[in-house]
Amino acid sequence: MTKAAKVMVPAIKVTRLHKTFNCCKALDGVSLDINPGEMVALIGASGSGKSTLLRHVAGLAVGDSSTQGGSIEVMGRPIQACGRLATDIRATRARIGFVFQQFNLVGRLPVMTNVLTGALGRLPLWRSLTGLFPLEDRERALEALTRVGIHETAWQRASTLSGGQQQRAAIARTLVQRAEIILADEPIASLDPESSRRVMETLATINAEDKTTVVVCLHQVDFAIRYCPRTIALKKGQIVFDGPSAELTPSALRDLYGAEADELSAPIQGSASFITDTALAVAG
Amino acid sequence: MNTAIDTARLSPPPRQSLVKLLAWGVIFATLAWSWSGAEIRPMALITDGANMGTFLADFFPPNFHDWRYYLEEMVITLHIAIWGTALAIVCAIPFGLLCAENVAPAWINQPVRRLMDSCRAINEMVFAMLFVVAVGLGPFAGVLALFVHTTGILAKLFSEAVEAIDPRPVEGIRATGANLLEEIVYGIIPQVMPLWISYSLYRFESNVRSATVVGMVGAGGIGVVLWEIIRGFYFAETCAVMLIIIATVSIIDIVSSRLRKLFI
Repeated sequence: MTKAAKVMVPAIKVTRLHKTFNCCKALDGVSLDINPGEMVALIGASGSGKSTLLRHVAGLAVGDSSTQGGSIEVMGRPIQACGRLATDIRATRARIGFVFQQFNLVGRLPVMTNVLTGALGRLPLWRSLTGLFPLEDRERALEALTRVGIHETAWQRASTLSGGQQQRAAIARTLVQRAEIILADEPIASLDPESSRRVMETLATINAEDKTTVVVCLHQVDFAIRYCPRTIALKKGQIVFDGPSAELTPSALRDLYGAEADELSAPIQGSASFITDTALAVAG
Repeated sequence: MNTAIDTARLSPPPRQSLVKLLAWGVIFATLAWSWSGAEIRPMALITDGANMGTFLADFFPPNFHDWRYYLEEMVITLHIAIWGTALAIVCAIPFGLLCAENVAPAWINQPVRRLMDSCRAINEMVFAMLFVVAVGLGPFAGVLALFVHTTGILAKLFSEAVEAIDPRPVEGIRATGANLLEEIVYGIIPQVMPLWISYSLYRFESNVRSATVVGMVGAGGIGVVLWEIIRGFYFAETCAVMLIIIATVSIIDIVSSRLRKLFI
């Protein structure tokens, strides 16, 4: 930990978090600190607990109550402790943008309205229930859509967009939210390589320009290495690696995951066209 | 050897045939058991055939002499159906949401469901008789009767639609820091809207039919007219009123089913 990090309030602080589903342990005493402005990848094979961890940080799931001290704080405000959500969870959630694997947009509403829902956390009830969003928020929504490159779809139904466009609309929603932290749960797992690249590119730009903390769950290590300076690796609910992404060489991965390492690094060896795609993109 | 296996497979396993046989047995036993209670006398249709012929002949030709009056009352019947349905929709939205498992906890949705059950269990005719006593003879009693009964039905249909939604968009809204009401307005309502509209139109159709009978107990509309002329043995006039009802209900059914198709 650097000197500066010690005096800063961590953006995300997880302390000895446990989560048990029926019989199996999904999270087994996870503790981590993430500083404001970091872009961190959370990697692991299916069922390693990375999505579960992210959902706990947003307060969309609660940890085990039996273990003492399992707690999460975001920007110094409690999210949950000992299996109970904080009472002001909604106010804190409004500061956290969440991007889902399946986009979680409301398909029948226009993209614009979907993006405007990012403002719900700070609007008075009469405005949100009547749908009379202030001009400032509507300007912000259009600006956010322009920034992620899909402003021409603003008044289309969200369900008519492609997967990649929907995911960028979901990111625009976090921009309207003025989220200080973006948690992205497998944002590219349902997308084709080109859309994946654009979504990761967008998240990296937001991180660089707005100093927004970004934590992104990934299945493929090559994306983590390309876009995130720091990687946290999970295996069976425990952190097995936390450090610079550059250290995650194929041999290091094999040491951590054994046979599972193939699953995490498959796209690199598996898809030749993908390599050329990203190579061209980087070159261009 | 092979042919022996094949012939065994040609008919279903004996267990299945036995269950099928038993099911038919139960159906016939039930019908036989109800025969005497319902006083089924098929012979009466033949022996009294001549009487029925005379009776039927009295209906024709229909007498449309008072058609303006009948049409006015038919329009009032429509008014009853419109207001009965409109009030029911307004109340069924909150009640329907409170009945849904994925919106309200069990200690709320169970009592609300029982309340809606009781609204639904009692026929609108019974409610009409009660409301005639409470607010007096006339269409308003009919409106209230349809309103209470339809609220029970729509709340159940609405809540079933809510329980079948995709939870992920709702979670997306929740993640922005929205409260429960905002989750409902932005996450749930847009998803259930087509079904809710379709159910409401369907209930409006049924309410036009029901509104023609609530009048029989004095709750206004064409039913009152029908009841009076049947009791007075004016069969030619009865026939005219019945034709007007059939025409109106058919038109409403056709228009409403066209509208419903737009929303599904």
